[in-house]
Amino acid sequence: MNDFEPKIVGFLCNWCSYEGADAAGRARKVYPANFRAVKVMCTGRVDPQFVIKAFREGADGVMILGCHPGDCHYKEGNFQALKRYAVLRKVLVQFGIDEERFRLDWISAGDKEKFVDVVTKMTDSVRQLGPLRG
Amino acid sequence: MTERIGVYICECGPNIKDAIDLDEVVKFAKDLEDVVLARPFGLLCSQEGKTFIEKEIQEHNLSRVVIAACSPKEHEHTFRKVLEKSGLNPFALQIANIREQCAWVTNDKVLATEKAKALISAAIRRVVLQEPLTERQIECQSDVLVVGAGIAGISAALTLAQKERKVYLVEKLPSIGGKVARYEDLFPSLECASCVLDPIQDEVLHNEQIDVLALSEIEEVLGYYGNFIVKVRKRARFVDVCSCIGCGACFEVCPVKVRNEYNEGLDERKAVYIPYPGSLPNLAVIDKEHCLRFNGKACSACQEACPFGSINYGEEDTIEELKVGAIIIATGFDLFDPGKVPKYGYGTIENVYTSLEFERLISSTGPTEGKLLLKNSKPPEKIALVHCVGSRSMESNEHCSGVCCTYLSKFAHQAKEKLPDVEITQFFSDLCLPGKEAQVFFNKVSSNNEIEFIRLKSPDSLDIIEQGGKALVRYTDVYEEPKTAQYDMVVLAPAMVGATDAARVAAVYDIAQGKAGFFSEEDTTLYPVASSMEGIFVAGCAQGPKDIGASVAQGQAAAGKILSRLVPGEKLALEAAVCEIDEGLCSGCKTCIGLCSYNAMTFDDKEKCVSINEVLCRGCGTCVAACPSGVIKAKHFTDRQMFSEIEGLLRYSS
Ligand code: FES
Repeated sequence: MNDFEPKIVGFLCNWCSYEGADAAGRARKVYPANFRAVKVMCTGRVDPQFVIKAFREGADGVMILGCHPGDCHYKEGNFQALKRYAVLRKVLVQFGIDEERFRLDWISAGDKEKFVDVVTKMTDSVRQLGPLRG
Repeated sequence: MTERIGVYICECGPNIKDAIDLDEVVKFAKDLEDVVLARPFGLLCSQEGKTFIEKEIQEHNLSRVVIAACSPKEHEHTFRKVLEKSGLNPFALQIANIREQCAWVTNDKVLATEKAKALISAAIRRVVLQEPLTERQIECQSDVLVVGAGIAGISAALTLAQKERKVYLVEKLPSIGGKVARYEDLFPSLECASCVLDPIQDEVLHNEQIDVLALSEIEEVLGYYGNFIVKVRKRARFVDVCSCIGCGACFEVCPVKVRNEYNEGLDERKAVYIPYPGSLPNLAVIDKEHCLRFNGKACSACQEACPFGSINYGEEDTIEELKVGAIIIATGFDLFDPGKVPKYGYGTIENVYTSLEFERLISSTGPTEGKLLLKNSKPPEKIALVHCVGSRSMESNEHCSGVCCTYLSKFAHQAKEKLPDVEITQFFSDLCLPGKEAQVFFNKVSSNNEIEFIRLKSPDSLDIIEQGGKALVRYTDVYEEPKTAQYDMVVLAPAMVGATDAARVAAVYDIAQGKAGFFSEEDTTLYPVASSMEGIFVAGCAQGPKDIGASVAQGQAAAGKILSRLVPGEKLALEAAVCEIDEGLCSGCKTCIGLCSYNAMTFDDKEKCVSINEVLCRGCGTCVAACPSGVIKAKHFTDRQMFSEIEGLLRYSS
């Protein structure tokens, strides 16, 4: 069990968070290779089905990373994402998916430290939880 | 049809090659479904790399391409062009970001190699399902509407006016020129304002491509970038614009006197009037609200006095419909009302003025014809200039208007010119003198120590009370000492804020209003003149406080944005990856309508379904994720493509 390495999927919006992840790269900030990004134009595009699909395909943790409130490139897409997140979290718990396995956060294009920080923390906490399908 | 995918992996010098085991990745990618070949290459974005891919596509008859390299933000565009050149649709490309999001952030080569495989596998699974998209084009109007004929609007109109393009310059007041027309001298050269403004006002009034609609307001805006339909109400002037020469015979005889808003209420005007001497267009106007005739009395004094028969009491408002491709909103600013903060004594203590009032007091076209006088007609002996009124404070406005320190220097200079013996004190807490000119100007004006500067503890650590008919300024200075001083005139520099009717304007155009009532720009850094609505631009002080030069620059910038996209006779190119709805399957629940930030969704009452305006849609996909029937498709981000990408990311085996 000790060498369990979780798979983390992140849905990143094109305008801020994907840029933030790129910025972390340009600054050579190392973070766990467990994290894999899927780009969407806006977090508003993240259908709850995407999240469920990721868990179903073997992800041990899923993240939605978008622009800070008020900064969404499409004005309010991230606000919709937040609303969906709140509901979906509760639904996932009913299916035995711990709340800690699903996280939403705001990453601006310049937030490289924050990006590395949330990804690292997420990886650590999911590692602690163990594999989703034990 | 089976797809033929080519996978190209960029070494990016040592950047990728040293961090990832590329041989292994190539071996892995080769064996994936639909992959015809997988190849590493030194530098794909170089000319050689581009030619290489082009040749490969043709030689191997590829139908899709995956490029594993740097971020799509770097070179997606470059490689899409390569595909296009080779006869493939640019959307048959997917990029696996193995540099920024893999090689550069993973220390362990084995882990980096694994991650690269996952990213490439995801890209391959996704690219198979990508659909060809074409850039859409629509017919568009190249004419432009500019709202607000101040310095920003005028600059925009002049930049836009050219053959085959009409500009409608709409101004709600009877004359053009905005705030600048009320000033006497302009920073930094102290050039007279009318010397700067008159020539460009003349140019606007005489340019055949520019239609100046004074006394007019926009009532409704329909449509979208390229095709707006705008309803303008032209208020009746009651004066025939063709025959009136602005001689003034009418207002000499008018018996009504009302507050003169052009002099900030410092004197009175008649009910028929010309805003100020030299105002353009030089035409009289009847103020219906105050004219006796429109208030049930039988006065026709002006009509009788007019030597040209220009007065026409029967004139009515007209509604005009304009078709334009784009709109620039340059409706300017207003000053924060210092009356809202009673401690400044504005409105209660005599001879306490706002900066705009002071501009009129020293203007040769103002109420005293430029003589600096107190209410009792004596010249002031001591003047206090107060910085940061209603700004840089959490209670009123947090922002700094950025121009007050400069114009207060100008005031000090102007007052000294007129009254060499006048004593001037500036109350400030910090000085903001940015740019090439302001500090230099300030140094020049304050170099001879004739102006006293008192630094306050904070911008608002001062109040003003009346004492013996004078204004007593009580303040705490930067050394925390409470002190007082008496002045016979006080000039306040209130914060610049969004124009009083900005909320109404924002509603008409459906654009966002931000802090202090200014219109929000799309992006402060990169798109400072784009509003939240495509095709509607904001310029000048309507967007935020700024000086005259910056207002002109924004007017010209907004015009430039339009010139580069709305070319007469050419079509307008639109974003290809937008959303599409299957109207036949739409249940008409309207969930999506409320979610769309761009009013792109409309409900068809007859068909009971929603349709998407592809011009307004920007492709964010929020509606797609929300549609309970799953009948909206985000092009290039379809459910199938996303699912497939997720599968590829997680379901590969190395
Ligand atoms: S674009 Fe980043 S969350 Fe909407």
